[in-house]
Amino acid sequence: MKRIFIDYEKCVACKACEIACAIEHHPDKSVLSLVGDKKAHSNVKVIAVENINFASSCRHCDPAYCVDACPSGALKRDRFMNAVIVDPYMCKACAMCAMVCPFDAITFKKTYNSPFGRDHAVKCDFCIERIKIGLNPACVDACKTKALVFTDSESFVKSKEKADLKSFLVGHSKEPANVKLFKELKKEML
Amino acid sequence: MDEKKRSIDKAAIEMFNILDKRGYDNIWDRLEAQKPQCGYGELGVCCRICSMGPCRINPYGEEPTLGVCGADADTIVARNLVRMIAAGASAHSDHGRKPAIILKEISENKIKDYHIKDTDKLIGVAKKLNLYKEGDSYLELAAKISDCALKCYGKQDEEPISFLKAYMPKNRFKKLENIAESIEKDSGMSVGFLPRNIDRESVDILHRTHMGTDHNPLTLIVQGLRCALADGWGGSLIATELQDILFGTPHKREINANLGVLDEEFVNIIVHGHEPILSEKMVEKSMDKALIDYAKSKGAKGINVVGMCCTGNEVLMRQGIPVAGNELHQELAIMTGAVEAVTVDVQCIYPSLGKLSECFHTKFISTSEQAHFPGSLHIQFKENRANEVAEKIIKVAIDNYLFRNKHKVYIPDVKSKATVGFSVEGILEILGGTLDPLINAIKSGQILGVAAIVGCNNPKITQDYFHINLTKKLLEKNILVVGTGCWAIAAAKGSLMDMDYLNNLNVPLKEVCKSLNIPPVLHFGSCVDCSRLLVLLSALAETLNVDIDKLPVVGSAPEWSTEKAVAIGSYFVASGVPVHLWPMPPIFGAPKVIEILTKGAKELVGGYFFVDGDIDKTVETMEGIILERRNALGLNVPEYIRG
Repeated sequence: MKRIFIDYEKCVACKACEIACAIEHHPDKSVLSLVGDKKAHSNVKVIAVENINFASSCRHCDPAYCVDACPSGALKRDRFMNAVIVDPYMCKACAMCAMVCPFDAITFKKTYNSPFGRDHAVKCDFCIERIKIGLNPACVDACKTKALVFTDSESFVKSKEKADLKSFLVGHSKEPANVKLFKELKKEML
Repeated sequence: MDEKKRSIDKAAIEMFNILDKRGYDNIWDRLEAQKPQCGYGELGVCCRICSMGPCRINPYGEEPTLGVCGADADTIVARNLVRMIAAGASAHSDHGRKPAIILKEISENKIKDYHIKDTDKLIGVAKKLNLYKEGDSYLELAAKISDCALKCYGKQDEEPISFLKAYMPKNRFKKLENIAESIEKDSGMSVGFLPRNIDRESVDILHRTHMGTDHNPLTLIVQGLRCALADGWGGSLIATELQDILFGTPHKREINANLGVLDEEFVNIIVHGHEPILSEKMVEKSMDKALIDYAKSKGAKGINVVGMCCTGNEVLMRQGIPVAGNELHQELAIMTGAVEAVTVDVQCIYPSLGKLSECFHTKFISTSEQAHFPGSLHIQFKENRANEVAEKIIKVAIDNYLFRNKHKVYIPDVKSKATVGFSVEGILEILGGTLDPLINAIKSGQILGVAAIVGCNNPKITQDYFHINLTKKLLEKNILVVGTGCWAIAAAKGSLMDMDYLNNLNVPLKEVCKSLNIPPVLHFGSCVDCSRLLVLLSALAETLNVDIDKLPVVGSAPEWSTEKAVAIGSYFVASGVPVHLWPMPPIFGAPKVIEILTKGAKELVGGYFFVDGDIDKTVETMEGIILERRNALGLNVPEYIRG
């Protein structure tokens, strides 16, 4: 099963994924429509811990704490991608899911999908409609450093395994020297 | 944010209690809200020059390695960097244009509100420029000097500008000519380091960085250095020299620095920004009896004009006006609730001041046709009605005194004594008319060398932490520290310019300073006054008959934030001075650019950049550079170092 993997060492915090996600989930599908639109939302958020950037979004766990915690049955599993998705009609915005989520990937707001104009749980829907037509999730396509990759776990782990081993055994740097220098200097800013 | 992380300034730390309790919008919170900041921007590999973009290069060496037009990381970074230099040099040089125009109008009797204040300087500058003729009237000299200055902005031939020709030491001039020739010989590319026209060098950068023009990081950077030299030995130098003529050459004086200079019982007016043209008038008018009486009629004891940032430095140097703080103090000053008006001209003024001043009675008054801010009250400044405008602004401030909310007033009782006001002329006077005592002290090792530090604050760095600690540690290494801008205000606030600070030192420098009755840390003025440092270096180089790149001097711009700082750093490098930078400039996405700026430049021009966030290591490198240069000059390593 394919998943979105994050090579956090490659994330430069440009937030292109955030913008692409917001465009994908906006009815007008245009960056201009986002400006000043409070109903626009992004399901991925770039956060920084010390000097590491991380594009964080739902991991679509299975079993998922949020699905178990939801008292109204609003969180369901999609059959196609086995993704965790929200049914805004069923959601009571009780925030149980947000409280139990280990990745803090669920927020609440009014969106274009809000029934009765109220807040509901907002989270990554895996861009299922894009995947169905053979595209990657929007955030993955937007990432120019390949920090976000959409692949099955086996191939991700394999390529990572190889790179890590190369770096550990023969000291092969995964980063160009100038980027390494940049990261070292950046640590001094903290 | 942890208060120790925001600032080490005592007054600032007191103000954070108020800021945190009342939740005012502030620069540190806005920085947090921006985090994490975009890595493409930090690395310099984002190009927004044409509409085929925006493009960014994958810094990890994978695709995309080229922008849409085909530009690689080195081209993109070099283009972005030299555009920063063009903007910084333009800001300084456009500042210099104004006193040149005023001087011209004085000579033509077209302006009544300004006069020539320092005729000695007028004659001195005329002599330096080789324009002096016995029997010339002051107005004739003013006409010649202003004409010469304005030609540096407007002439269209290929000759180097005359201010640079007159002020740059001949060895440096020759060296820069020679490097250009040798590059041409080796590569067949025609390049130049010596600026032909101050404005043209910025325009040249805008031209060559246009899509599809110059893509060679070396030629781009050489033009960047040429533009920077047009700033240092052109625009900034003209600003300093002509402002001295108009408002007086600075001499040693004592002032107070920090928010404690605001006075609860007075009408407090802050002059903030960079130019002295309006602020000199504000200072003058604040002593006008009628206006003081008017202030008294509103219940105040008088009018208290204080400075901030480089406008503050300008009036501090020439008029001894106290300074309320440097860049990161601007919001905190309004939060004291005791400021009737913040009058601003240009540069380094946060647009946040409009919204913040709405929380208080404070009037945020913009005055320049080039600088407008949301929520400001705009009172248009015009040179030919300067008295009238200054008076109007002071009246607005006085009228505003009644609206001060006493419950919101909190002025930290923090201010430091500082001995300031050093110009090259002032130094010569102190030394008895010649630089020999300074040179002898350097030769004998009583002074190891000179470090020139220039300002800015940057919320990414604890306010004043790098400035103060770097300076202290350089002093411990027996290095005389001189400098300008927000660094100078930091040093003043940090009591390093207090004569008593000498007692904390245990190096030979202490005795030199004591005998000359100067502090070990010398305030050379505003950031355009970095030109005074060039003039000082020039005088040292000429006296010793060596090039600047042989002198035991080193520069630093810790806590830098503006494009002007990039221009200043670049003209010091191009003049032969190694320059430390912190925080990181946006160049690390481009290996060739790093190579040129940190190594190639050393071979070419003698000056180069180095980047370090560790204060101890920075001091070590700076001391190493000075020792290396002393060694090359055949000066002994002083005994106290060997021992």
